[in-house]
Formats: sequence, C-alpha cells, structure tokens
Amino acid sequence: MINITPLIPELFLLVMAIVVLMLDLFSSRRTVVVPAYVSMAAVIITGFLVFKFGGDAVRWGSNAIFVADSFSQFFKVIILGAAFLAIGSSFGTADRMTHHRGEFFALLLFSTVGMMFLVSAKELILLYVGLELTTIPLFVLVAYQKTNRASSEAGLKYLIIGAASSAILLYGLSLLYGYTGTTYLNEIAQKTAVYFLSHGFIPNAEGTTDLVGMGPAFSVALMMIIAGLTFKLAIVPFHMWAPDVYEGAPTPITAFLSVGSKAAGLAAIIRIFDGMLYAFSHDTMPNDSWGTMMAVLAAVTMVAGNIIAIRQTNIKRMLAYSSIAQAGYILIGVIAASKLGVASCGFYMFAYMFANMGAFAIVGLYAEKTGKKNISDFAGLSKTSPIIAALMTMFMLSLAGIPPLAGFMAKYYIFAAAIEAGYTWLVILALLMSVVSLYYYANVVRIMYMVDSDNKHHIIPSFPAGLVLALTGIGVLLFGILPQSILDMAYKTASSFIF
Amino acid sequence: MDIGLYHYLSLAAFLFAIGLYGILTRRNAIAILMSLELMFNAVNINLVAFNRFSGSDGLSGQIFALFVIAIAAAEATVGLAIVILIYRNWRSIDADRVNLLKW
Amino acid sequence: MTYSYPILTYTIFLPLIGAVLLLFIDKEKHNAIRWTSAFFSFITLIMTLVILKDFDWTTAQMQFMETHSWIPAIGSNYILGVDGISVPMLVLTSLISLIAIVISFNITKRVKEYFVFFLLLECGMIGVFAALDFFLFYVFWEIMLVPMYFLIGIWGGPQREYAAIKFFLYTLFGSIFMLVAILILYFTSEPHTLSMMELIQIGPSFSHNIQIMAFAFFFIAFAIKVPVWPFHTWLPDAHVQAPTAISIILAAVLLKMGTYGMLRISWPMLPEGIQYFSVPIAILGVIAIIYGALVSLAQKDLKKLVAYSSVSHMGYCMLALAAYTSVTAMAGCMFQMISHGLITGALFLLVGVLYDRAHTREIAAFGGIGKKLPVYTALMVMFGMASLGLPGMSGFISEFMVFVGSFDHFWAEYWYIVALAILGVVLTAAYILRMIQNVFLGEFDEERWGHLTDINIRETLCVAPLAVLTIIFGIYPDPVIKLMEASLNNLVTLMAR
Repeated sequence: MINITPLIPELFLLVMAIVVLMLDLFSSRRTVVVPAYVSMAAVIITGFLVFKFGGDAVRWGSNAIFVADSFSQFFKVIILGAAFLAIGSSFGTADRMTHHRGEFFALLLFSTVGMMFLVSAKELILLYVGLELTTIPLFVLVAYQKTNRASSEAGLKYLIIGAASSAILLYGLSLLYGYTGTTYLNEIAQKTAVYFLSHGFIPNAEGTTDLVGMGPAFSVALMMIIAGLTFKLAIVPFHMWAPDVYEGAPTPITAFLSVGSKAAGLAAIIRIFDGMLYAFSHDTMPNDSWGTMMAVLAAVTMVAGNIIAIRQTNIKRMLAYSSIAQAGYILIGVIAASKLGVASCGFYMFAYMFANMGAFAIVGLYAEKTGKKNISDFAGLSKTSPIIAALMTMFMLSLAGIPPLAGFMAKYYIFAAAIEAGYTWLVILALLMSVVSLYYYANVVRIMYMVDSDNKHHIIPSFPAGLVLALTGIGVLLFGILPQSILDMAYKTASSFIF
Repeated sequence: MDIGLYHYLSLAAFLFAIGLYGILTRRNAIAILMSLELMFNAVNINLVAFNRFSGSDGLSGQIFALFVIAIAAAEATVGLAIVILIYRNWRSIDADRVNLLKW
Repeated sequence: MTYSYPILTYTIFLPLIGAVLLLFIDKEKHNAIRWTSAFFSFITLIMTLVILKDFDWTTAQMQFMETHSWIPAIGSNYILGVDGISVPMLVLTSLISLIAIVISFNITKRVKEYFVFFLLLECGMIGVFAALDFFLFYVFWEIMLVPMYFLIGIWGGPQREYAAIKFFLYTLFGSIFMLVAILILYFTSEPHTLSMMELIQIGPSFSHNIQIMAFAFFFIAFAIKVPVWPFHTWLPDAHVQAPTAISIILAAVLLKMGTYGMLRISWPMLPEGIQYFSVPIAILGVIAIIYGALVSLAQKDLKKLVAYSSVSHMGYCMLALAAYTSVTAMAGCMFQMISHGLITGALFLLVGVLYDRAHTREIAAFGGIGKKLPVYTALMVMFGMASLGLPGMSGFISEFMVFVGSFDHFWAEYWYIVALAILGVVLTAAYILRMIQNVFLGEFDEERWGHLTDINIRETLCVAPLAVLTIIFGIYPDPVIKLMEASLNNLVTLMAR
C-alpha cells in the first residue's frame, strides 16, 4: 500500500478545482464572486495543508516519486501565493466575461496543482505530467478572451512554443531514460555519479571536462533538457514567446504566468541540475562545462532582457522583458550550485512574486479603468491616485533592486551565492545590468510623478484588488527590512540537496 | 540485417527533426500542430525502444509513452480549439497573418 | 559614553517618523507641513548636539554603540556607533538639513511630497554616518538616492528629469562596485563578517591582490560621490537643476559621504590599497583642484560656478587623503569637509536667494547690484572670501592644513604635485573675484534690477549660523580639531599597518 498522505494538499486543491467548476453550473451566472472567493479560500487552505503534510515522500519501492520536502514546500508557498494574488486581481477581468467565469478559476487551480506536482516530482513521468498539467490550462487561460484577437493570438503562440519546448524536453528526458534505464531522479543521480567515478572523465587540454567527455547521448540529453526548461523560464535565446504572450494574455494570467510557472520551472531546473545531476556541480568533479554554459545563458538573458526592455512602450511588454531579465538573475543562483545558491533562488522567487504580482495588479487595474496599456498613459497618476502610484514605485524599485525593498535583499543574496561560488564576473555584469534596468523602471516612476497630464482617472481598487495591493506592498517592504525568517526557510530548502 | 536499437533511435531522431522543421517552416496552424505530434511520437519511439533494448525488466519506458500519448491528445484538443478560435477571430489559420503582436 | 536609550537610532529614525506623520496632514495645509518638518529636523539637530556634548573626544573608540542581530542569514547586524570622524558629520548633516528645510519654505508646488521626501533623505544621510555594518551602510547609502531622485526630478530646473536620472544611475553605478567589494571582503574574512570594525582589524591580513581589488572597487563608489575627476560629470547637472535646498544638501552633505566612506572604510580597512594608490589619488586630487577652478573660471552661470568650485574644493580633500601618513593632512581633509559644507552650502543658498528674485543666474546679466542689496552683497562677499581661503575664515585653516600635511607626506618625492595644487588657490581667487566684480560691482541696471529686494529675515536666519560658524572655525579651530584628533591619530596608525 502506498502512503499518499504527502499528496493531500494537491488532492485537496484538485477536488476544490472540480468544486469550483461545478459551482459555475449551479450558481447564478451574474457574479464571479462565489467561485473566486471559493478558489481563494481553497488556495489558503492548501497552503496550510502543505505545511501540515510536509516532510514525507510518496515512494514506489525504495524510490521516492513525490517528495514534500522543505524545498517543494517553499516553492509551493510561492506558487500558491501567486495563485492567490492572481485570483484576487482577476475579479475585474472575470467580471467582464460573458461566459465560463467559473472555468476561469478552475483552470487556474488546475494549473496550480500541476505546478505543485512539478516542484515535488522526483520521477520523470510525474515531472512531465506535472509540467503539462501546468501548461495546458494556461494555454486555455491565455486565449481566454475569446473575442479578443490579441488574446487568441497569444494563445496560439503559447501553445505552439509550449508544446514544442515540451517535446524537446521530452526528447531529452527519453535519452536520459535510455542512458540510465530508470526514470527515478535519485537512481539517475546515482548512476550518473557512478558512471563518472568509474569511467572517469576524458579531460580536455585545460584539464576540465566538457560535455563530450560524458558520451554524446548524455550531452544531447542535457542540452535538450536545458533548452526545454529554459523555454519555460523564458531564458534567452528561448524567450521570443514571452513578450507576445504576456501582452496578449489577460493581465492576471500574465502575472500568474510570470511568477507561478516561472517558479515551477525554476524548481524543476534546480531539481534536475542541482539535485539530480549534482555530480556536475559536486566538488569532487572537475566540471565547469554546464556551469559555464548556463552562466553564458544567464549573462545573455540579463543583457538582452534589460536592454530590449528600455525600448518598450507597452507596459506589459516592458514587464515581460523585465521578467526575462529577472529570470537571468535567478539563473545565477542555479549556477552557483551551492546551498546558498538554492536558498537564494528560492528567496529571489519569493521577493519577485510580491513585486511582480503587485505591478501586474496595478497594470490590470489601470487597464480596466481606462483601457490604456502604454507606459506614457500613467502620466499624472501620482496626483490622481497617490497611493497606487506610491505602490507602483515600490514595486518598480524592488524589481530594480533598491534597498530597503525585498528585491534588493533577493539580489544581494543571489550575488552573495555567486561570489562565494567564484562567479565574480557574472555578478559585476548582473549589477551593471541592474543599473540599466533602473533606467526603465525609474522611467515608469518618472512618468507617474514628473510628467504632467490632464489624466483624471482616479483608481479605486475593488476589495480583492485592494487586498492584493496591500499584501504585495507589505510583502515588498517587510521582507526587504526583516527577511530573516524567510531566509531561514529558504536556506532550509537547500537541505534537500547534496552539495 | 537485424533491426536494433540504433535503427529505432535513428527513426525517432529523423521524425523529431522533421517535426521540428515543420514547426519552423509551416505557416498553417494545423500543419504546425501535426508537426508537434510528430515530435511527440518520435519521443514515444525512443521510450519504447529504450525500454525494449535496455535490458531492464521494468516497463517505465512504455508507461511513459502511454502518458505522453494521452497528454499529446489533450494538447492537440486544446490546440485545435485555439485554432478554431483563431479562425473565428481572423478568418484565417495562416500563422503569418496572425501577427497583431510583434512576433 | 552610553545612554540607557539608543540615541543614535532615535536620531536616525526621527526624520522618518516625521515623514510618516506628514502623510496624515492634509496636503493643502502648507504651513502645518512646513513647520512639522522643521520641527522634526530641529529635534534631530538637538539630538546630534546632545551626542556632540556627551561625546568623549579623548578616545578613538566607537561611542554610543548599538548592536543588534538583524539578518544572521547574511551575517548582517544592526550596528551603530560614532567616533571623532562621524560626529562632526552628524552635526553638520542635521544643521544643514534644518537650514535647507527652512529655506524650502517658499516651495509651493506639491509641498507635502517635498517635505516627505526631504525627511526621508535626512534619515538616509544620518544613517550613513552612523552605520558600522556594511549591509546597513549600503542600505542607507542607497535609500538616499530615491528621495534625491524625486527631489531633483520634480522640483528641479528645466532639465530636472535628465539630471535626476543621471544622478540616480551614476551613483548606483558606483554603488554596485561597493557591493561587489563588500561581498568579496565578506567571503574573504574568516569567520565571515560584515562588521566594519572587525574588518578593519583583520583587513591588513588579506592578500595584496584582494586588498588592491577591493580598494579600487570602493574607490570608484566613493569617488563618484565626492566627485573626483573624471567621475564628476553628474555633479554640474544635478547641482544646477536641483532646487536650492537640494543643492545645499548635495554640496554640504552628499559629497562628504564619498570622503567619509574613504576615511571610514577603504583607507583603514585596506592599508595596502592606499599605500599602493597614494600617488595616483594625489594626482587625481590635483587635477580636480586645477580643472575645477579652470572650469569655474569659464562659467557664465552662477550656480554652475559654485558647482564646479565644489569639484575643485573636494580636490583638496583628495590630496589630503592621499597623504596617508600625516595626521595633519587627515585633519585638514576633515576640516575641509566641514568648512566646504558650510561655505558652499551658504553659497548655493545665496545663489538661490538671488535666483528667486531675479529669475536668472547669468553672471553677465548682473552688475552693480551691491548698492541695491547691501546685506546680501556683504554675505556673498564674505562667503566668497571664505571660499578662496582668506585667513580668518575656516577655508583658510583647512587648506593650510591640507598643504602642510601633504607636503609633509610627499616631501621626499612628488612634492611638485602638492606645489601644483597651490596654483589652485590662485585660480580660486581669480574666479571668485571675477564673479564678485561682475555681479556686485560695476554699472547698475536700474531699469532691469530696480525691483530686486534685499535678502529677507528667513533667509538671513538661514545663512547666519553658517556665517558664524565659518568665522569661528576660522579664528578658533581648536575645538573641532580636538574633537577628531584621537580618531585621526588612530586612523593614521591603522593605515601604517
């Protein structure tokens, strides 16, 4: 008999998603309030369950296939937080839909369940199923505004790119399976490690090992897995889909996409590279090849994301490029391949969640009230809605990494991990790019505060949107000044890995 | 000549490459979806072949393939639904003409 | 000296409390807003004076220390403390802040936001001078940038947005090098620590390369703030575009943070760094002195002239800092920081007063207004003389100490570097006298400037403390020097390691 207690949070959320789907059938069609509040409550309860039933694993024989370790708990908190905030800021969007309001929230919950599986998966099949459960509902959600051309176009693009990257990832996974004969991550880890220790490396001229030294199938598998997963994270050069999809999708979904699915993809990358293939990053292994490759990817991502973001006029596209750049920073933590590195990835994601969800909430709110989406449309916001403008300023500065906000703490932590791991050049580049990023983040602030306009839109958020803004605002400030408890939690997550 | 693992793997690699090529070059959304199916099926061949030839007594490769088939079906469903949506909105399923957003 | 209550924490966060309180005042009640912020700033000044009174100047120990665990995960603690180097800066900061707030009473645009940002700025500035933990220091250092960005960008001159973002980006660019240096030092030290005092103890044990690299990184960060030529290009824009009060703050406090950072951090912590870079820094200092003075000589805009004179005057600080073996030079540097704060602060204030009335700062547009505005002219001439180092004013004392100290250090070789710097004094006299002549003497254009009124009481009250202090320090500098002597002696010993 398999012990399924660790699965209880996921099962609960799955049931609640079905309940929300059913609610839509039975409740009156006039209001979004019931399914939305039920979903929010479900997410909160799931959050409690995650902690209540944490620490154990679902096993098949001696191999874990699903672990509820502290690492997955931490990322589940981020994912659930993102889901909660996304639902909270969806009221307005969902309200303007004529059909299928309940499904909107149900799909969001299904996707959340998928992410939770993804971060807990210790087995390739489960990992893949979790990944698809994450993305397939998101394809629908992105294209949810049925009569909106941009939305359906974004849906198509996301579908094609998402499915193609899944196929590439899957091909890599199949090679990995063929190479090791197993789908359990821990067995794969053992077998690769044993292989390295027994066969040794084929060192190249510099005395380090390159991927070729590990057999061509393995290096192809690795490349394809990196390509597939970095597609999900929108790492350059696999980022082209992100701006279009972000721009076309309904704003709360964009926010969810940029935080939730990024967190889940990041967790998978960490599981695979820092966890399963730890042999690559282990001290005893004279590696560097994949680290250097990922470092180059991170560097290119930061440079491209930040520089292209400067030119954007549409705020959602700007935030899309900014989130591409942010993914580059996060990747630094993965590359550091240390306890501090994993911890910093977790904390970065956590801090990023508040700032990004908050920023998108304001963008969505503003577009709902005024129908405007350009950065220049925010002119004069500081006079008409000073609190909204102040919050937006905080989110922008947090994303730029200005103290004492959470984003700064996150950047500091990730840079500390990288310096410890010896990637000083990467840190200097990342910091230079954060100066560049300040330019376009501050540009939003400049337009809100320094450009005069006859803007008369006084933005009054609804209760759930106000709640979202309050939570994100508090989060950005609080975890910038007193981050200790979260840092501790993040550091504990690293105990799930062998370094 | 015996048909061995390498034959299957080569077939899968070719299928995968054809699928990838199709995605990159075809402009018709339906054709792109079909190319995607090719890629998934290439993976399935890989998985089943590895399962058969790797000598391990488990069935995880075949089970994996079953999951992939099921998920690919779901993906195709959603895909076709979105293509219909695109057709309603644009009166066309040519990916080149669906270009409101900068690609 | 320790108190039963954390006086430094109170001093730092008092302006913040004021800023929060301001948020609750109706934004139309301008006078309530003004007086509330002036009140909080005044209390802050009183607090720093209390610190000054109870400060024990006979020891180089850190005083009023506060240590609390803050973020153990990154090794950061909440450590505050002051010594003879930071106490004068604290008092200067709070005094200048009060003056700047009072001189800003004539701001009518978005008054509430202005004073909120101003108090935030004061909080950050005081924090920088009291923080003894690297992380805390960096946080305060960066916090200041945000209100500064708004203050220049909203209330500045025609090019304000450009100047604001330039200032923000430029300073952030410098800060990132500091951040890297901090992280390098953190991971080099065993056990890892971010405490400045501990790092000063173990700093010399770091390898030569680490010391040189960290020193260079810190230097870029601080040099941009000072600003040392060639990192000075943000300064003219920021100064000219900023509103009067912010120019005063920039000149009197913000620039000092660069030199303060050097005295507090990179000089004692990385002695091999300063020993290695001493001559290049002296050369940069002399270039700044001469270049700043020459550019001032060519200025047509009164405010730009004062701005470039800051580059020149801060060059003296750099020259003194390069002479790391001489206590006199260090004291000269500190004295120059204080006296430049007083004099240039006052000059910016006076230029602002004239601009408010005449709506132009073009030197050529004026002439002979000395007859029309006698009090104003007297003050302006006095501070002009102080700026060019007339004996009896604080500027003379500081420059004299700088020269004596740096000659002392560079006597064996490189004495000609210092000799070149003396040329700067002549050039300073040239541009100050030229300015006085063109603006205050000569033909008076009654038709154009007949409506000008003399400096009013509020403005006079603002300048008065600066004038009094400039003269007192010029005649009797002893108390100031005593105040910092012990700390500076200690500093020189630390650098000789």
